[in-house]
Amino acid sequence: MKKIDAEKLKKIVGPENVSNNLSDLYVYSGDASIHQSMPQIIVRPKTIEQVQKILRYANKNKIPVVPRGAGSGTSGHAVPIDGGIVLDMKRMNHIIEIVPEDMLVRVEPGVVDDDLNRALKKYGMFYPPAPASSRIATIGGEVAANASGVRSVKYGATRDYVLGLKVVLADGSLVNLGSNTKVHSAGYQLERLIVGSEGTLGVVVEATIRIVPLPKFRCLGIANFNDLKDAGNAISEIVASGSQPSLLELMDGIGIVAVNKALDLGLLEVAAIVLFEADGNVKEAVDFEIYKMKGICEKHNGFNIETSYDVKERQRIFSGRKKLFASLSKYKEGIVCTDLADDMGVPNSKIAVTAAKIHEIAKRNNVIMAVYGHCGSGVIHTKIMLDPKKKSQWKDAEKVIEELYDYVHAVGGVTSAEHGIGLSKAPPWKKARKDILPMMRAIKKALDPNNILNPHKLMDAPDNWLKATDLRYRVGN
Amino acid sequence: MPAKTVIFKRSKKWEGELDKCIRCGYCYELCPLFKSYNWESDTPRGKMLLIYGMITGKIKPTQEIVDKIFECFYCKNCVDNCSAKVPITDILTDARADLINAGFEVQGTIIQIDEDLCSICGVCVSLCKYDALKIVDIGKDKKKIEVDKIECRGCGLCMAACPSEAISQKEGCNVTLPELHERVKEILRQEDKKLLVFVCNWSVFPDMQLSENETFIKTPHGIIVSMCSGRVAPELVLDAFEEGAWGVMVTGCPPEECDHNGNYKARRRLILLKNVLKGLNIDPNRLKLGWFSTGESAKLQQSIDEFAKELEKMGPIETYAKK
Repeated sequence: MKKIDAEKLKKIVGPENVSNNLSDLYVYSGDASIHQSMPQIIVRPKTIEQVQKILRYANKNKIPVVPRGAGSGTSGHAVPIDGGIVLDMKRMNHIIEIVPEDMLVRVEPGVVDDDLNRALKKYGMFYPPAPASSRIATIGGEVAANASGVRSVKYGATRDYVLGLKVVLADGSLVNLGSNTKVHSAGYQLERLIVGSEGTLGVVVEATIRIVPLPKFRCLGIANFNDLKDAGNAISEIVASGSQPSLLELMDGIGIVAVNKALDLGLLEVAAIVLFEADGNVKEAVDFEIYKMKGICEKHNGFNIETSYDVKERQRIFSGRKKLFASLSKYKEGIVCTDLADDMGVPNSKIAVTAAKIHEIAKRNNVIMAVYGHCGSGVIHTKIMLDPKKKSQWKDAEKVIEELYDYVHAVGGVTSAEHGIGLSKAPPWKKARKDILPMMRAIKKALDPNNILNPHKLMDAPDNWLKATDLRYRVGN
Repeated sequence: MPAKTVIFKRSKKWEGELDKCIRCGYCYELCPLFKSYNWESDTPRGKMLLIYGMITGKIKPTQEIVDKIFECFYCKNCVDNCSAKVPITDILTDARADLINAGFEVQGTIIQIDEDLCSICGVCVSLCKYDALKIVDIGKDKKKIEVDKIECRGCGLCMAACPSEAISQKEGCNVTLPELHERVKEILRQEDKKLLVFVCNWSVFPDMQLSENETFIKTPHGIIVSMCSGRVAPELVLDAFEEGAWGVMVTGCPPEECDHNGNYKARRRLILLKNVLKGLNIDPNRLKLGWFSTGESAKLQQSIDEFAKELEKMGPIETYAKK
């Protein structure tokens, strides 16, 4: 590992914003993934100029730099696999301007998603991508991961909202990508190249993002199913029917038991739940969408269907889904929820079969997998629930991952729909997308010839996810 | 300094629970320490990671790690927010006990008593909800007040009540008594500041956000986040009047909602203080107390605006004229 001159960095950002204490290094060694690897130093810039100076220094000395937002990523993007500098962007947290008349907002990368939405509410606007982690997730991190969430079925992902980005490149130069306008045609869509680049091409220091008006009405429905397949088919039909849900979620029986245990929600313990929502400015139009979706759920044997326009009631219905990820650890004593195989995407017609396949593969390999997610956009979330102390369980997980992704790719799906590749999903993704790796490597080399920006992630990540870094768990024999 | 050997007798049992923590980070959304310092090592997730690292032998305890573990106000916003239901504060308490038993120097948010100043009046002892203070004999006719460093939650109510100002706290999110005095002076010496508002960390402050945003709580008046209304010592209010404030507002959690009953103490204290103000020829209506729950920032805003209007009618206090 290269030696880092802490004094130089302290001069740039002030001594109080640099740390190489073990207490900080250890905390910044992980995120929400299974991976753990310590940086050599943490630096917290406040201005664009400071980011430029840090990168100039790092590039000259070939020191790895890993930008970090909230550290809520699930695939190990922010884990500094080669040590180096962790660039904690959370101090750059200023909402620079809200321009409702141009339907856009300019923010620094450390602004938290929910904070932005609270500020926008006053103007009757919102920023829709809404990953489940929106309470802490930063806009910079969302751009890096091309994050999306429950509303992607109607509103799309982060990439659909990024109009322009200010990015500091590996050599410390500042570029202004994109525009202030909704459409823009001038060659390469470079701002889009940065979206989803997982910190490997540059450090986002400002984002100009599109905002949209808040709908006047929102109605949320919940339908219970005794067969997971029925629930999957209902979702596929709702999407194919041309309905316009603003949210369309699946949650299987394992997820229901887990949230009931963790949050005492008293949900009916059935095989699956479908949550459906419509929004708009004309109540009759919302009513019509809800009526249509409800009808499709009934056709596929959905029962005890409830719908509500009331905010509190909607929050109650949705609370289980919002906190499902963390609740899964409560499903059964002795097993924990690990962030593996967490966000594949499949074509709309393959939801029911993929959901069933996941349960089958899990059972055969001695692990438990919940199936849930924004299935309206084809996103299937799972987690592998296992006993992390047992070495054999990690072997089981390896088998599950190989088999599951082979299946997902065979039905025309993708490795990651919204969390990104990072470290833990790199092996199956690289296997499936061999053709694009040379192009991605060429882009990386052109923009970051010294390979300092978040090195050994995505296309350059190790081929064995289990051995890529230390695991955050203590694994026995 | 050679590394100390720590036997994690009490905290070892939590390894399984800590494995359940999925490190989503939702716990730090409402963490006042994180909001004050902004380092991830100040977050509940950070502390849990450090404890996990120590009990599993991945890292050895160092003084910096111990310092982090002893910074917490036990507001339990993290516990309420954890969907994996990890008993964060229980784990923290057990880790603290193990580190104290290993002989580490601990300060952080734990209160300290300056024995030279302490008159052993015992006001703090009766006030502490956590039984963390007691009077002990230390020889013939000699007593002192002892702090149970495992039980102290750092709420700081004793600091505000101590008549000798003998109690202090090393880390207090900028709300230790001397820091608050400084803030009062700093704010009121700005020309346009006539009204000072103490807001409670637990009730309204969590509603403030991680991101900077001018559109939130727009007030030209001075705001001081005091952690708990019970920490607002009477002399802080008097200090404010002396610095020329036209009025002072103290806000806290509504009755029944304060974890340390600090709001009741604030209420009692301020009623007495209003009588003192009369004696000083200051209109007691210049001191206002208000209750606000989390999420009631709009109500707070409105209340501040109304109070400011009343003060405009009253004008400055002649004695301390700040025109």
